[in-house]
Amino acid sequence: MITIESLRKYGANVDEGLQRCVSNEQLYLTLVNRFLDQNTFPDLKAAILDHDLEKAFHIAHSLKGVIGNLSLSPLYDVIYQLTELLRNRTEMDYSDYIQRYEMSYSLLAALR
Amino acid sequence: MNKNKRKILIVEDEFVNREILKNILLDDFEIFEAEDGETAVELLESKKSDLSLILLDLFLPKMSGLELLNIIQANPELNNIPVIVLTSDKELEVQCLQYGASDFISKPYPDSSIIKARINRVVELFEDRQTIKSTERDALTRLYTREYFYKYVADEDKTNPNAEKDAIAIGIRSFHIIKERFGTSISDSLLVRFSKRLKKLMPSISGMVCHLEADTFIVYAQHFEDYEDFIERLSQDLSLDNESKTPIKLQIGIYQNVDKNLDIDVRFERAKIALNKIRDSVVKNYFIFDDKLKEKELFEEELLEEFNAAINEKQFVVFYQPKFNIQGEAPKLASAEALVRWKHPQKGLISPGIFIPLFEEKGLIQQLDLYVWKEAASQMRKWQEKYHKHVPVSVNVSRIDLFDPTLVETLLDIVKENGLETKDLLLEITESACTEHVDVIIDKTNALRQAGFKIEIDDFGTGYSSLSMINKLPLDALKIDMIFTRNAFTSENDNKMIKIIIDIASYLKVPTIAEGVETKEQVAVLRELGCDIVQGYYFSKPVPNEEFAAFLTAEK
Repeated sequence: MITIESLRKYGANVDEGLQRCVSNEQLYLTLVNRFLDQNTFPDLKAAILDHDLEKAFHIAHSLKGVIGNLSLSPLYDVIYQLTELLRNRTEMDYSDYIQRYEMSYSLLAALR
Repeated sequence: MNKNKRKILIVEDEFVNREILKNILLDDFEIFEAEDGETAVELLESKKSDLSLILLDLFLPKMSGLELLNIIQANPELNNIPVIVLTSDKELEVQCLQYGASDFISKPYPDSSIIKARINRVVELFEDRQTIKSTERDALTRLYTREYFYKYVADEDKTNPNAEKDAIAIGIRSFHIIKERFGTSISDSLLVRFSKRLKKLMPSISGMVCHLEADTFIVYAQHFEDYEDFIERLSQDLSLDNESKTPIKLQIGIYQNVDKNLDIDVRFERAKIALNKIRDSVVKNYFIFDDKLKEKELFEEELLEEFNAAINEKQFVVFYQPKFNIQGEAPKLASAEALVRWKHPQKGLISPGIFIPLFEEKGLIQQLDLYVWKEAASQMRKWQEKYHKHVPVSVNVSRIDLFDPTLVETLLDIVKENGLETKDLLLEITESACTEHVDVIIDKTNALRQAGFKIEIDDFGTGYSSLSMINKLPLDALKIDMIFTRNAFTSENDNKMIKIIIDIASYLKVPTIAEGVETKEQVAVLRELGCDIVQGYYFSKPVPNEEFAAFLTAEK
C-alpha cells in the first residue's frame, strides 16, 4: 500500500503535493493510485515509435501536468525533458528517456 | 447556504487535475465539470449566466482550449463570464489573455491558497462589472431600468433637440387579476414575452422602452398618431401561457409632443396619468393627456404644497357618522366612524375621494391618519366628559401604517393621553391592504389586538384577499362595502354577496357592518339577513362633532 512515508522515500515532493490537496492525505494517495491505474505512458511510447511526435507531445504534455501536480519528482524530471524535446518535434532516439521513465514508474508502482 | 454558492465550470480532461481543483474549491463553490470541449459547450448552453467562472485547460481532446475560448467570446450570453486558463506553457499565456481570458494558473499548480486567491479576485471583479450591467437592465424583462432609461432619454434630447416626442405609458388590462388567478410564473412569462415584442417594435417608432414596474412600461418615441395601429401590432396574438390561451388586452396613455422643459419624470407621470384614466376599462384602449388632466395635475400639485399648512392650521376637519345596531327592538347607537374632510380656505370643502388617493400615492397619508386619530381621540374624551357616554369611534389605518414599527406604541400613547381605553378606538383596515406581505399584516394586527384594539376589515368583498387569508387574519368585524348594499335591491346577485359575507362573518364569529344604507327597506332586509350594524344616510350622513352630540343625548 502506498503511504505518505513511502512516497517520501521514493523521492516525491510530498509536502508540495499535499499542499495542493489542501493537506488531504487521503485525496493525495487516491490520486497517486489513480495516476498509476490510468497509465498513459504506453500510448506515448507507441506514438514515439510510430514517429507521431505531434501525438506524443500531446500525451507527454498532459502527463507532465498530472505528474507535476502530484509532485512525483523522479518522474517529473524525465517527463519534463521529454515534453520539451517533443514540443520541438526533435527527431532523435528517445529510448534512454523511455527507459528512465519506465524505471521510475515501476519503482512507484512497486510501492503498492 | 448551499443554494447561494457561486457556480464554477472546470474544463479539464485529466481526472487528477480536476480532483485537485475541486478539492480546493468545493467549500466555496458549486462545481460543474467537463472533460472535453464539446461537453463544456453543452454545459455552458444550459448554465449560461449562472456561472461565475470558467477554469479552462488548454489541452483538451476533441476541441482545443483556445477554440473553446473563441466560442465563448463570440457568444454574447457567455462572453461576460470570466475565464481562467490552466496552462503549463508560458508562451500561450499572453495569447490567452488576447483571446479574452481574465487570468491564468500555471501547471504544476501553485500553492492552493494562491489558486483560491486568484479565483476569488477574478470572480469579484466580474461581479462588480455585473452589478453595473444588471442595474442597467431589469432582471426579469432585460429592458432598461428607469434610472438608465431616463439617462438615455436625456441623451436623446441632447442629440435631437428639435424632434417631436411622445411619452407613452403601456399597461396590461387587469394584470393584477391575471397574476391573482394564474400565478406569478404565468404572469412573469407574459411580461417577458411582451417585453421582447416591445423591444422588437421600437425601431419602427424610433423609440426606446423601459420596464417601470409590474405591468407598466414606458416608451419614449418619435411623435406618431396612429395609436390604434400601435396597440394592434403590440397585442396581436398576445395571449397567456395557459391552456385556454386567454387573449391579452393592452392600454396606453400618451403625453404627446412633450414639453422638453419639463423634467423627464413629469413627462412620463403625465403619460401614466392618461393611462390611469382608462386603466382596466373595457371600452377604451388609449387616452391622450389633455388640458383637463393638466388642470387636475396642477390642482393636485397645489394640494400637495398646501398639505403641511393644512395640518398646522387644522384645515382638516373630522366628521362622524353613527353606526347603529339593528338587531335589537330599536336601532341602538353602537359606534361612529371618523371621516376626514378638508375645509380649504380658498378652495372650499374638498372631498376625501380627491385628496386621500393622492396622499396615499405621495406618502403623506400617515401624517393625515395620525392627525385624524388624535382628533378623534380627543373628541371622544370630550364626549365622555360632557355626556358620560362611551361610544367607540373607528378610524382608518392605512396599509403603510401597518409597516410602521412604532404603530402600536403611537396608538397606545394617543389612547393614554386622552384617558381612553384601547377598546374605544376601532381600527379600520381595508381589505385590499391585506393582499401583499400578508405575514407582516397578520403580525401587526395580532399585536394591535393584543394591546386591546378592535380590528374592522373595511370594504370587505372588493379586495383580492383570499378566504384563507381572512381566516388567518385576526379581526373583530367585517364591513360590507356600500356597493353591495346599494345594489342589494337592483341585482339578485349582490344580495347573495351580502349573504355570503354575513355567512363568512358568522363562521368567523364576528359581527358585520353594512355601509351605505339609505332606505328603511334596506335596513329591514339587512336585519333579516342577519347583519348586525348599519351605517349610512338612512340614519345620518357624516356630521361635524357638534351635530353628532345629538345622537349621544338622544340615547338613554
